[in-house]
Amino acid sequence: MAAAADVRDMLDLPAEGQPRPHKKQKVVEKRPEGITRELYALLGERAPPIAINENKYKGRPKWMNKLRVRPWSMAPFTNNARSDGLVLHHWQRKHESARPPVAAPAPEGSQMEVDQPKEEAKDDAPKPSEQEYAFAKYNIKPRLPQRYTDEDYARHLKSEDWSREETDYLVDLVTEYDIRWVVIADRYDYQPPMDTEPDANAIVPAKQFRTMEQMKARYYYVAATMLSLEHPPSEMSEAEFELHEKMLKFDPDRERDRKELAALQLNRTADEVREEAMLLEELKRITSNEQSFITERRELYSRLEVPISVGNTTMYQSSAGLSQLLQTLLQADKSKKRRSILGDGAIPSPAGQTPTHAGGLGRAETPVTQAANKKGSMASRDTQQNVRTLTPAEEARYGVQHHERVTAGVNFRSDRAQRLTQAKSNVQTQKLASALSELEIPVRLFMPTERVCKDFEKLIQSVNLLLDARKVSEKVESEIRVLEAAKAERERKYREAAGIPEPEHPHPQVKTEAEDGDAVVLDSSAGSAQAQSTNENPATQGHAHGAEGNHKRSASVLSGASESNKRQRR
Amino acid sequence: MNPSNPPQAAEYGGDEVSAIVLDPGYATTRAGFAGEDAPKSLIPTYYGKYNADGQEKLIYGDDIFVTPRPGLSIHNPINKDGIVEDWDMAEKVWEHSFTSRLTGTKPGNPFQNGLNDIPSEELPTEMEVESDEKPLSDSPLLMTEPGWNPTKAREKTIEIAMEKWDTPAFYLARTGVLAAFASGKASALVVDIGASNISITPIHDGMILKRGVQHSPLGGDYISSQINALFKSNSPQPITITPHYLISAKAAVEAGQTPQAKYKTFPADKAPDASYRALLEERTLGEFKECVVQVWPGPTRLSALGPTGVSNEDMARTSPGRPFEFPDGYNQVFGVERFRVVESLFDAKAAIPDPESSFAPPTPAQTIPELVKASLAGVDVDIRPHLLANVVVTGGSSLLYGFTDRLNHELMQMFPGPRVRVTAPGNTSERRFGSWIGGSILASLGTFHQMWISKKEYEEHGPNIVEKRCK
Repeated sequence: MAAAADVRDMLDLPAEGQPRPHKKQKVVEKRPEGITRELYALLGERAPPIAINENKYKGRPKWMNKLRVRPWSMAPFTNNARSDGLVLHHWQRKHESARPPVAAPAPEGSQMEVDQPKEEAKDDAPKPSEQEYAFAKYNIKPRLPQRYTDEDYARHLKSEDWSREETDYLVDLVTEYDIRWVVIADRYDYQPPMDTEPDANAIVPAKQFRTMEQMKARYYYVAATMLSLEHPPSEMSEAEFELHEKMLKFDPDRERDRKELAALQLNRTADEVREEAMLLEELKRITSNEQSFITERRELYSRLEVPISVGNTTMYQSSAGLSQLLQTLLQADKSKKRRSILGDGAIPSPAGQTPTHAGGLGRAETPVTQAANKKGSMASRDTQQNVRTLTPAEEARYGVQHHERVTAGVNFRSDRAQRLTQAKSNVQTQKLASALSELEIPVRLFMPTERVCKDFEKLIQSVNLLLDARKVSEKVESEIRVLEAAKAERERKYREAAGIPEPEHPHPQVKTEAEDGDAVVLDSSAGSAQAQSTNENPATQGHAHGAEGNHKRSASVLSGASESNKRQRR
Repeated sequence: MNPSNPPQAAEYGGDEVSAIVLDPGYATTRAGFAGEDAPKSLIPTYYGKYNADGQEKLIYGDDIFVTPRPGLSIHNPINKDGIVEDWDMAEKVWEHSFTSRLTGTKPGNPFQNGLNDIPSEELPTEMEVESDEKPLSDSPLLMTEPGWNPTKAREKTIEIAMEKWDTPAFYLARTGVLAAFASGKASALVVDIGASNISITPIHDGMILKRGVQHSPLGGDYISSQINALFKSNSPQPITITPHYLISAKAAVEAGQTPQAKYKTFPADKAPDASYRALLEERTLGEFKECVVQVWPGPTRLSALGPTGVSNEDMARTSPGRPFEFPDGYNQVFGVERFRVVESLFDAKAAIPDPESSFAPPTPAQTIPELVKASLAGVDVDIRPHLLANVVVTGGSSLLYGFTDRLNHELMQMFPGPRVRVTAPGNTSERRFGSWIGGSILASLGTFHQMWISKKEYEEHGPNIVEKRCK
């Protein structure tokens, strides 16, 4: 208080005592209920340090008060699954007053009347509730074929092995244990009746141990017979017929063998089990490896079928082109559209993600990947050298190659082979193709291994060589022919002038390549001479054509070649 | 599931009819209401008999342990095989098990409860009240029996229940089946390690397979005899157990030193019978079994070589021993011996020889692995793998430390092919009262109420009905 007064003094505020008592008054009026006024007054003007709050029992929410209590009662009940009407008691929700106890006897069913006398004997307990016992519905029995009569048995079911009594015993047991064969076989203990007649004892063998298979066979036979007596097989429903078939086809011997095998399987030694586990593991490994091998191979094949890209990299040589490429790459990355080049849902290969294909561009590589490739290959070479040098045989075996010069980036061997078949001129390419098809070699190699490619290269070289040789030889031949024609013409004219009849002339010698210079000189005259002969003497031309009939294609090639020759000359 | 929500009608199959479940065993008798999770009443099956004031008196329940009355002798109505021998006393002990805790005292006749006393001359003579109030007249009773209970014993049981106790409905179930039910299995191979017997019971669809039921006497009492044999051959000095009632004071001594205790002595005419002392010694042995005894966990036998080439005994020696103090203050650390006393449950050759013991040396066929083998050989080959995958362990003596591990290893070694799975509840009471809990579950099922043998049926067919109905 003093502190507050000092502060007011210092700040030159008027000392106001009024509002505080006023406030106090208010607090006093709000005094909590639990404290008497006198006691509260003793507290003085200081408020207690602990807030006094009342802990009041809240009770149930108000809306619950409207609910009615639903009482439970110990109610008697009977179970319809029982035949003796045993009355047991359990706790049950009492029924609402809709059905007052006075009205209870009225709707009582007739079955309740049966229980009535017993209850009276005890005391006048309340009657069991009328509703059916909820668990009675679980009392179910399997449906079995009806029991045979004496007549049925005598006609259909007689057996050497099974007496009537034992069959009865078996069928009783099956009914009692609901066809649980394991239990039936366990409890089966048939005591043959001790007849006084000696014959009967002689017929019925002394106590005999029956296996489960024997019991099953007998029972299934009986049941199937009874089923077919009930309905002939033609009238059976599908399920019934199936059951009938199954029971008829039961083979006890086979079942016994199966069980013997099962017992053997169960009693294996630890070693056998371990061995089997190992074999299974191995099998699993093999199958899983096979799967991965197949997928890898499929990927490889689908990669081979990629159309060859025919773009060039010139547009990426400039820095502007490179930045554009980077843009495309980023975009492709962003859109995450991993369109696989393997058409049918195979694993997306790294090749499938290269944007060069997606963008429809030529096979271009970013400088980064180039560098990486180079580095990688260098590194691998280094390590190879470090590790050990392989003999040529081993190199061949492992497919190790040494390149003179490593080209940047990835390329396919098949592409390289393909490039060989592309000559400078279209005509030459066609010729190569025709030569290859004559040799029955596909344009695209099936298995472009290193060796195949090398051989292919050699083959193409020799084909080229041969083609060149043929070209030359055809040229020479044509020149010879022209010259001969000119010579014949000359001789004819000469003879006409001299009046000498036509003699036989030996063919002139074929000129060698060395005489090429002369041939060229001759050619100019031959050209004019040929022009003359084509114009003036078509007969000769036809003759020459006919002579070369079997080399028709070569002839046309020849003429084309000579024409181009002429053009060059001009 | 939120416990405040009522269970779905479709999944809740219970319907409680306040049935009483009575599971009499050799050592203890368990009784309680069906639907509860543990028996309310647990009393020893032993009863005490003594003479006072010239007449014979009987005491039941835990009272038998308390006072060493003069001439008090302890008896058991059940024989070593688990079958009831003394039917009169069995009936009384069983009756005590449920009347003491469960059914309680009925409100007495108002004429006799002392509140309405009127002068005796005014008592009308014709108001003679029938005094033979039957204890179970409003509770159905589910009782248990071992799988090898003979027909006569079963008939006698239903006779007692129906005629002496006046139960409205009765059922007799096998302990093995109930133990399987307690683990939620309808088909199982139940390994029950009790006080007087160990038994193997194959169960298929809730029914025992009689040809596979095997039992042998290597139960808790046999282990006690082995411990006694061990104590006799103890190395510094043979150990004798002095029960608490014979000791008035004791002083702490170092391990292995002679005990320093003041003993109580009873004059010959005041002393209780020797059987009383045996009972109390057995209590100490029970404590010893709980604290010290350990089953060698396997996978190989204690006498065999371990996987590292060191013999298992040497391995066991390296593990720290366990101390135990006897009532007279004598204490000792038990090393490898604590494994030896139970090894003969698995390996007959490992039994500690004791010519004075009431137990014959065990034969190999009596050991647990052999019993399981014989049991499985008695059932159809098709269900053997399934049984092995559902091995249920129950019984108080199966609580021996490391027992289930060893059993698992033994079974796996014997049957390396099929999958072996041992189910043993970790909860002590669930293991001890396995068959009672199964009975509690069974008797509170709505579908079970059609299985009871009612009084009417009993009257119609006689006691033989139990053979037909409780299969």
